[in-house]
Amino acid sequence: MIDLNERYAEKKSFFNRLVVVYVFFGFVFSFFLYQTYSLQVSEYKDYETAAIANKTKEVLVQPVRGIIYDRSGKIIVNNVPTYDLIVKASLIKNIDAFLSDLSPIIELDSDELDYVRENFDLKALYNRELIVKKNLSREEIAKFEVRGYKFPNAFIDVRYSRYNNYPELFSHAVGYVGGVSNDELVSILNSQALPQIETIFKYSNGFQIGKTGLESTYDQILRGKFGKKIFEVDARGRFVEEREFIKPKNGENLFTTLDIEAQQVAYDQMDNRRGAVVAIEIDSGSIVSYVSTPSFSTNAISNGISSRAFNALIQDKDKPFFDRASQGRYSPASTIKPAIALFGIENNIIDWDFSMEDPGYFILPEDQRVYRGWRKGGHGNVNLNKAMIVSSNTFFFSLAYKSDINKLIEHLSNFGFGTKVCADCFNPDKALLPTPEWKMNNLNFGWFKGDTVNLGVGQGYLSATPLQLAYYSSVLANKGTSKELSFIHEKQDIKNLNIQLNNTDDLDWKRLHQSMIGVIESPIGTAKRLQELKTYTVAAKSGTVELVSTDTKEDYKIIRENEGNRDHAIIIAFGPMPNPKYAVSVVIENGESGGSVAGPVAIAVLNSLIGK
Amino acid sequence: MKKKLTFKNFSIYFDQYLFISITLLSVMGLFFLYSASQGDLNTVIKQSIFVGFGLILMFILSQPDPDFYKIFSSLFIILAILLIFATMIFGREINGAKRWLNFGFFTLQTSEIIKIALPIFLASYLYDKPLPISLKHTFITLALILFIFYLVYSQPDLGTGLVVFMAGIYILFLAGLSWKFIFTSFGLIVLSMPFLWNNFLEPFQRQRILTFIDPSNDPFGSSWNITQSKIAIGSGGMSGKGFQEGSQANLNFLPEAETDFIFAVIAEEFGFLGVCVLLSLFFFILLRCIYLAFNARDRFCRLTIGGLSLVFASTLFINLGMVVGIIPVVGMPMPFISKGGSSLLSFYIAFGIIISMATHKKLMQK
Repeated sequence: MIDLNERYAEKKSFFNRLVVVYVFFGFVFSFFLYQTYSLQVSEYKDYETAAIANKTKEVLVQPVRGIIYDRSGKIIVNNVPTYDLIVKASLIKNIDAFLSDLSPIIELDSDELDYVRENFDLKALYNRELIVKKNLSREEIAKFEVRGYKFPNAFIDVRYSRYNNYPELFSHAVGYVGGVSNDELVSILNSQALPQIETIFKYSNGFQIGKTGLESTYDQILRGKFGKKIFEVDARGRFVEEREFIKPKNGENLFTTLDIEAQQVAYDQMDNRRGAVVAIEIDSGSIVSYVSTPSFSTNAISNGISSRAFNALIQDKDKPFFDRASQGRYSPASTIKPAIALFGIENNIIDWDFSMEDPGYFILPEDQRVYRGWRKGGHGNVNLNKAMIVSSNTFFFSLAYKSDINKLIEHLSNFGFGTKVCADCFNPDKALLPTPEWKMNNLNFGWFKGDTVNLGVGQGYLSATPLQLAYYSSVLANKGTSKELSFIHEKQDIKNLNIQLNNTDDLDWKRLHQSMIGVIESPIGTAKRLQELKTYTVAAKSGTVELVSTDTKEDYKIIRENEGNRDHAIIIAFGPMPNPKYAVSVVIENGESGGSVAGPVAIAVLNSLIGK
Repeated sequence: MKKKLTFKNFSIYFDQYLFISITLLSVMGLFFLYSASQGDLNTVIKQSIFVGFGLILMFILSQPDPDFYKIFSSLFIILAILLIFATMIFGREINGAKRWLNFGFFTLQTSEIIKIALPIFLASYLYDKPLPISLKHTFITLALILFIFYLVYSQPDLGTGLVVFMAGIYILFLAGLSWKFIFTSFGLIVLSMPFLWNNFLEPFQRQRILTFIDPSNDPFGSSWNITQSKIAIGSGGMSGKGFQEGSQANLNFLPEAETDFIFAVIAEEFGFLGVCVLLSLFFFILLRCIYLAFNARDRFCRLTIGGLSLVFASTLFINLGMVVGIIPVVGMPMPFISKGGSSLLSFYIAFGIIISMATHKKLMQK
């Protein structure tokens, strides 16, 4: 037992020590209170934001893509709602087992099966939906609704298919759409100030963007803006309730200058031959017809195609995907002659009274090399008018011979050669307007006089696309004034591209037009066969592109055994004269005769446009 | 203050301040639990049965004379240790931990018993030892504390183990542990930290501590709880989101909302003001315990009141510190508030014993 003093000391010690412990706890408590205060008061805003971010999830809502119209207000491309069978690919372990379970309910043809099997892995990897079958019938929907419980990862929903009413007519002009890649989606979401990483796998699927043609050029306008649905979710991401719905802004419709009827005529006239037709409304620079053949169905490409069908298109030797209208490079051949004629007049090298003998060939004084015309024996005495009508090579060889190459190049570039002539065409090629510098840099040879001579008849290194030829045709028709070409007027800052000619007057232009009318109307014209195909006057210039140079008709007969060696047929035309409204260019690969093969196509297109 | 109501043949021992404040806390706890369980009445009814039973138990345990606890303290601790051994053998395993003994109608977390038995036993062992406590007694006491800590820790239940350990150390300290010993051993502990780290902590415990030091270390693992808890507390602001309006708790972002993290629910729904009101109740209880300890009739009672009230205080502070992210997550309920059986009842028992210690007076000897 301890005594009283000790008892008192013990009590005091106990109390002191209890106070020590409580002071310690007091510190801990103050620290705790401080921490709570800073969480709840000082940093309240941050945590409030974090709590809201925790419970809200945003899902993007797709806009509907704009409709594309022709110039009379007819629909070219529309969005067709279809009931599609869709699966959440990432949740399906074995796609073959799934398909065999599905087969008694919904039948898939071999193309559809291929499509599903080929695309399954990628869609599963990116957590995208996979459309198993499009456009289900009522019976199929009913069947699936009854037995759908067996397929928790599959559902039927409305999806919009991009449907071109004329799938083969506009395959290059309007182009096609396709699934969006992750990079593309990220940049689209960025441009619309939407968060990406979180939403990228959650956006409603099946979003398409333009891949080629107008679908690509005007994609930003057509695609619209995503809307948003904001949900409240719990910790597992399960839906609790909808909080807010910001409607998507649907894409704007596109009113093009394309003319369905003219397009149809051009397409039918081409009859699957390799080539291109471009027609232009001269006053506005509007492209009214734009055909490259052979073609393919954009509907198949846009909405899912099996790789077998796709490979067949890729491997087709006629290259249906190749847009000949804006990417095919062809020598302009004799169609260049009107421009050369204007150069001669502008630079006082010739006038309309000048004439010369055409023996059927031109001998280059420098090296005695012979440049032949298309007709053995020549055309006799030719002035400029006759030279145009009969397409005398000798006349234009001689004219080019007398020309300054640098001036001539500048002159030709004013007509669109070697330049970009279209404001909204998809990926147009500038083709080639050769210059001495170009030749030195690319071929390591200096410019020969013979190169200039060749330029006079549109052969040699010079090449142009059908689009450029159509533009050239419209510049000729409009006497040197023109507008940059385009498919849509109100959307573009259309440039006026006027050619400055000081020494060429209206009379010269009229006489040039007259000579081009003669190409068809004159009994000796190279396109005289076109006379009967129309009821109005048309100015034209035909051309025949030599792929293999031959000296005699007999030699040509031998090389034409191989179709690929045959000459390309080419024509530019505009009418009705004397006040032309439309200009057109036609190229038919290996078509041999500009006047009689390409010509009828050009006239048929003009008929369709002018007949109205 | 009424401490003793004397009737003809018997007296009732009762402390109205503790009784009222604990009852108030328990009833508030029921409301908080209703919100934390997202309006699950079953949980609340079950909890209110425990609360009612607990209050009765507290009252009953206030009645025996402190000598009863002093005499039987050895028996209590032996029983408690046997229960821990029984748990090791017959215990029910939940999530890799064997902490529970199933009695059919009630599942007992045995470490909760030893949490109370140890302070009482130590008080009864040390109350007649001269000041300062001799090295021999210090070592005997420490050996017992460490042995029991090890038993609890190996269940494994680090949280309760720490509370048991701290409770033992409190008693030893309050009983008059020499300062020389305190400073020497403190130095040794600091030096042996690396050894303890490598040999006594489970990998997940080490991870928790590492995560605590650098939360960016493990964004979706251990610190998920702390992050969500902080968001819940912080977003409550000054006045809270309102009863049952806490999105963190209601949408399940907050883990263990009914048990360890119930404070976060309270902070989210009632804000800083609500937190202050709640904490002042706890604070009042602790102050009352100091007063009672100081006025207790003898050293045994003082030590017991001091020890048990500090068990209560350290449980509370570990829980609060964990929830606001100032100490690592160890798994510790909030006394009288968190959903629970054994852990809830243990504090009614502790306060029953505290009241007994405080209300029974003895005539001074001589």
